[in-house]
Amino acid sequence: MKSGKIAIIGVGEVPTRTMPERSRWDIIYDTCMEAVRDSGLTKSDIGAVISTSPQAQPQLTAELAFGKLPEELGFENCRDTCVVNAGGAGTSNCLRLAEQYINSGVAEAVLVHHVTVHSTIAVPDLIAFFATAGVDLQWEYPFGSTYNIIMGLMANRYMHESGCTPLEMASVVTALRSWASRDPNSIFYGKAVPSPEKVLESAMLNTPLHKRESNILADGGCAMVVVSAERARKMGKPAAYKLGESVRYFSATPMMRNFEKMVYGLRDTAKEAIAEAGITKEDVNIWNVYLAYPLAHPIMAEALEIAPFGQGGKYFLDGRMSFGGDIPWSTIGEAPGRGHTGSGVSSAVYVETARQLMGRAGERQVPNCSYVYQNTSGGSGFNNIATIWGREPK
Amino acid sequence: MSTQESQANQFDMTRPLPVVQPWSEAFWEGAREGKLLLQHCKSCGAMIFYPRKFCPECWSAEIGWKEASGRATIYTFSTAYDMVEPRFWTDIPYTIAYVDLKEGPRMMTRIVECAPADIKIGMEVEVVFHKLDDKFFLPYFRPVAK
Repeated sequence: MKSGKIAIIGVGEVPTRTMPERSRWDIIYDTCMEAVRDSGLTKSDIGAVISTSPQAQPQLTAELAFGKLPEELGFENCRDTCVVNAGGAGTSNCLRLAEQYINSGVAEAVLVHHVTVHSTIAVPDLIAFFATAGVDLQWEYPFGSTYNIIMGLMANRYMHESGCTPLEMASVVTALRSWASRDPNSIFYGKAVPSPEKVLESAMLNTPLHKRESNILADGGCAMVVVSAERARKMGKPAAYKLGESVRYFSATPMMRNFEKMVYGLRDTAKEAIAEAGITKEDVNIWNVYLAYPLAHPIMAEALEIAPFGQGGKYFLDGRMSFGGDIPWSTIGEAPGRGHTGSGVSSAVYVETARQLMGRAGERQVPNCSYVYQNTSGGSGFNNIATIWGREPK
Repeated sequence: MSTQESQANQFDMTRPLPVVQPWSEAFWEGAREGKLLLQHCKSCGAMIFYPRKFCPECWSAEIGWKEASGRATIYTFSTAYDMVEPRFWTDIPYTIAYVDLKEGPRMMTRIVECAPADIKIGMEVEVVFHKLDDKFFLPYFRPVAK
């Protein structure tokens, strides 16, 4: 793979909240216009628009797929638009397509965005969507499986093999919420950070997953403007440059997932992305991990060889991944801290990666942030896309 | 009317049935007869679950069926107490598991006839078929009697 030819030069975002008073198009206007203004470009410069698929919102998906956004916002020089859907890996694919548009000459500047408003979706529709997405309708769904149960199955096996304790697992929530409490765009902004003991006091949803280890569905949206690395460099403004990428497919059906293949895939994609970026693991300033559930974070910490096998949970319990710790990790608190906006979390983490590299992350700013590891994963974990971003081009 | 009954009126409470493909019909026919069937590739020898149109190992169309022993070990499990679909509310608590069949393949199932606290990874289990309707019997597993 050859990366390193694009950069994010502008971002726009609305806080993730429960806000049924805001329509989806209201959020699209605000985030997209903010991103374009932030980039220093004008609407006339936008040559393409790519939307991360808004899950569980079929009408909006159709409107975006059939080209409404460039018309609505008056992008008169837009040459193409589409929706990209790979679940939680969607935004990584939007950025890949943006790279292709830019490298092939379709567009010089591409707007990538996402919006989700869960709060106005009828509860039965929400339940129906999340009950059947990412599980097999013949071999899994009839038994009563859910996303939460899939995570429980994975976590129980990991805890069995590694010796990770429930308290260590719960400490992941503490770490993620410590970042989210300092992120004005996170649903837990300004809220008390629960101790691991407090997390374990919450009701058991399914073993070993407690209520506070699950996600709150929320509303939100964000946007990014992407240009070539060369153009970003010439513009001379802070930017996030894509330096490396690697990907592995695992399997669509959780039942078929080979645990070792997945763990090796997490490890290998990180190594390959880091190698392509021409840096070492020690150069990475932030591990902006996106997995949608806290239970998978100790597995990732070990797969990334940041923590020795069996020590991933302990690292979280020791506070090393928390705000102020020595391993900056998921600095908007990931889905458990940010609030779950469907595939939108995968967009929000890229916006955060860009903010950190631009030096605009406020209280969460990691000093001298030069390199960020950013992954996304789709469905109930069918793949992992690892990327490295830097504040300077290659 | 209880809160749960009131909420249940809003939701589809019918039990979901397997969405069957033509090449998996034989599996469900076997389940009706109390047999746990696995596909077997006559070209490369692969034991296949879940059923496919072609062998996923070698793409051969020469696929037959073999009755499995029905014995397995629990690879992992999770017991549900809350936040499941309304149509499964009456089953709570229930335990979903991945079991490794003696013949090799792994499948999702439920563990039954055992208190959740007694379920362990590595536990030996055996198949028992649970009737959904006249057409579908789901392969559940229960601990092997010592």
